[in-house]
Amino acid sequence: MTITDISHRKMFPARGNVYLPHMVVINKIIDEAPDVRTFHFNFKDKALSEKFTFESGQFGEFSVFGHGEAPFCISSSPTRPDHLECTVKRTGRLTNALHRLSVGAEIGFRGPYGNGFPLEELKGKNLVFVAGGIGLAPLRSLIWNVLDNREDYGKLDIVYGARSPADLVYKYDLASWQKDDRFNMAVTVDRGDEKWQGTVGFVPQVLEHVAPSAQDAVAVVCGPPIMIRFTFPVLDKLGFTSEQMITTLEKRMKCGIGKCGRCNIGNIYVCRDGPVFNYQQVMDLVSSEY
Amino acid sequence: MADSKKVRKEDLAGLLTEWSRDYAVLAPSRADGVARMAAWDGEDISFLDWYRNTINPVKSLFLPPVEEMFSISRNERGHRIELPPKDDTGCLVFGVRPCDARSLILLDVVFEDAYEDPYYLDRRRRSIVVGLCCTNPCDSCFCTSVDSGPAATAGMDIMFTDIGDNLLVEGISRKGKELVAGNATLAKATRTDENRARKIRLAAEKKITRKIDTGDSKERLLAVFEDESFWQQVSAKCVSCGVCTLLCPTCYCFDINDAMTGGEGSRCRSLDSCAFSSYTKMPMENPRADKWRRVRNKLCHKYEFYPMLFDNIACTGCGRCIRLCPVNWDITQVLDSLPAKHESKI
Ligand code: SF4
Ligand code: SF4
Ligand code: FES
Repeated sequence: MTITDISHRKMFPARGNVYLPHMVVINKIIDEAPDVRTFHFNFKDKALSEKFTFESGQFGEFSVFGHGEAPFCISSSPTRPDHLECTVKRTGRLTNALHRLSVGAEIGFRGPYGNGFPLEELKGKNLVFVAGGIGLAPLRSLIWNVLDNREDYGKLDIVYGARSPADLVYKYDLASWQKDDRFNMAVTVDRGDEKWQGTVGFVPQVLEHVAPSAQDAVAVVCGPPIMIRFTFPVLDKLGFTSEQMITTLEKRMKCGIGKCGRCNIGNIYVCRDGPVFNYQQVMDLVSSEY
Repeated sequence: MADSKKVRKEDLAGLLTEWSRDYAVLAPSRADGVARMAAWDGEDISFLDWYRNTINPVKSLFLPPVEEMFSISRNERGHRIELPPKDDTGCLVFGVRPCDARSLILLDVVFEDAYEDPYYLDRRRRSIVVGLCCTNPCDSCFCTSVDSGPAATAGMDIMFTDIGDNLLVEGISRKGKELVAGNATLAKATRTDENRARKIRLAAEKKITRKIDTGDSKERLLAVFEDESFWQQVSAKCVSCGVCTLLCPTCYCFDINDAMTGGEGSRCRSLDSCAFSSYTKMPMENPRADKWRRVRNKLCHKYEFYPMLFDNIACTGCGRCIRLCPVNWDITQVLDSLPAKHESKI
C-alpha cells in the first residue's frame, strides 16, 4: 500500500516553503493530568484563522523556537473552528519547553499533515471508540466531530481507560459525555484510588464486557501500542473484521511530509500515508515494526 | 553520439573560464589526498589525470550536510523568521561521475513528491551537471548492475569523455544541448573521435568486474524480511557509524534542529542516518533499537521500499559504502547472499 498522490489533501499554505511555520498564540492552558497539558491556540494572523481547515486525526508540527519542532495531533474538532487545541505530555526537550510556556506565548505551527480519519466511510455506521491515556486526543477531535453531526451516525460507544483516575484526560468532556444519552460510555482505570467509584480493569477487558455489536460498526482504537495490540483480538472475537478496525500509528517524526525518512514502516511513511490505518493495512505493512 | 563536439585538453581551462562568466563553476580538487568538488580555481585541470570520484557524493551540493532553513529572532512582539538570502547564481558542476549524476534523478523524485522541498529543488534548478565518463573505475564500483555504467548519462546535462588529446562533448538534456550548441570553443567531433570514445567506454565497462544480480532482489528481500537470524548475521560486524549512508549519493534522510542564544538563532537541517538508533527513538519505545533492524532498513530502503515507490533501485553502484566502511561491510556480498526465492523459509 502506498499513497504518493496526496493532491486531494488539504494543503496549507498551498504554495510556498512548506517548512516555514505560522505563528500561533497560546490563549489557554489546561492541566489535564500529571505532565499532560492541553494548549488552546489561534493563528496570530486573523486571516489565516479563517482560511485554516483540517480533518479530525490530522496533526501539525509545533515549534518552540530555539528548541525545535515536534508533531502533535489536533485534538479539537474542525466543527468548532473558534480555536485549535493540542494535548501534550512532557517527555523530552521540546515538550518540556512547551510546558514552561504560559498564556500569551507565541509558538510555530505548520500543517495540517497526515490523512485523518475516513469520515465519509464512517457516516451511517455505528461507532465504537476505544482509547487509552493520552490516546484520547486524536479520538476527541473525531468524537466532537461526530456529536456535532449526530444524525449522520448510528449508535456510539466509548471505552476509555487510563492507568489511574489522575491520568484520565479531558475530565470536563468525560463528564459531559457521561450525561449525554446519545451514547454509551465506559470509563475505566487500571488501578483506582480511595475516591474512585468507577470501573477498574484494562481497556481490552472492559471492551469485551461492553461487547458492542460488530453489525454495521467501525471501531476506532487509539492509545499506547500495548493497549492496541490487546484490543484487536478482542474486537476480532466480537466479530469485527480487520477493515472494521481503525487505529493511528505513532512514529518519531521530523519533517511531517515524507522526506526526512524516519517514520517509515517499509515503504509507508506514517506522517504522509497515515497516521490513520485500518488493521488490515497494519498487517500488510511488511514488518513487525509497527 | 549525434551532434557531438570536442574540445582540445589545452582549451578546457578556456572553456571553463568562459562558463565561469555565467556560472559558479565547481570542479574536482584535491587537498590532503581527498578529492572534493570545490570552486574551480581558474586554471587547474590536472584532475583529468588523477580524479576517480569525490569522497562526498554530488548530493552534498544540493542537500548539504548542514544548512540553515531560516533564521529566528525574538523581540517583545514575537518571533521573526527569515529565509536565507536568495541566491540566483547558476552553478555548473564539472566532472560529475555517472553514478553520482544518476543519484540526482533518484533524489529529485523524492524532493518533488507530494510536497516540494524548496531548498533542494531551488539548487537543482540553478544547476548544470556536467558529467565525466569513467575511464578508470574502482574495484568497488558495480554501477553496471544497477542500471548505470561508466558511460551512463542519466542525470547529466552534458557529458565529457576523455579520448586522448581531446575531450568528446555531448549535450544530454535540453539545457545542456543549448549550452553546447552555441559554443565557439567547441569543434565538431569527427567519426574517428566518436569511434575512439566508443572503444574507451567499452573498455571501461569491461573493467567493472564486480557484478550482482538485481533482477529479483526486491522479491528476495521481501522473502527474507522477517528472518531475524539472517539479518543478525548480516549486520553482525556493522558498528553503526553511519558512514555508508551519510556518504551515499542516494541517502537523503535529514534531521531538523534549532540553535538559539539570546533571542537570535536559526533552524537548521542536517543529514541524519537510519544507521543511528536515535533516528527513530521515541520517548517510550524505539522501533529500530536493534542494529539488525537498522541494517535491514538501510538495505531494504534501497533495494525494496524505494523501488516499490519509484520503480528504480536507490543505489547507483558507486561503491562508496564498500570503500569507506570501517569494517568492510560489503553491500554486494550481502545482496549476493540473499537466498534465492525458493530457498527461503517464508
Ligand atoms: S559504514 Fe559499515 S560500519 Fe558504518 S554503518 Fe555502514 S555498514 Fe555499518
Ligand atoms: S548504497 Fe553504496 S554503492 Fe549504492 S549508491 Fe549508496 S554508497 Fe553507492
Ligand atoms: S516525519 Fe519525515 S518522513 Fe515522516
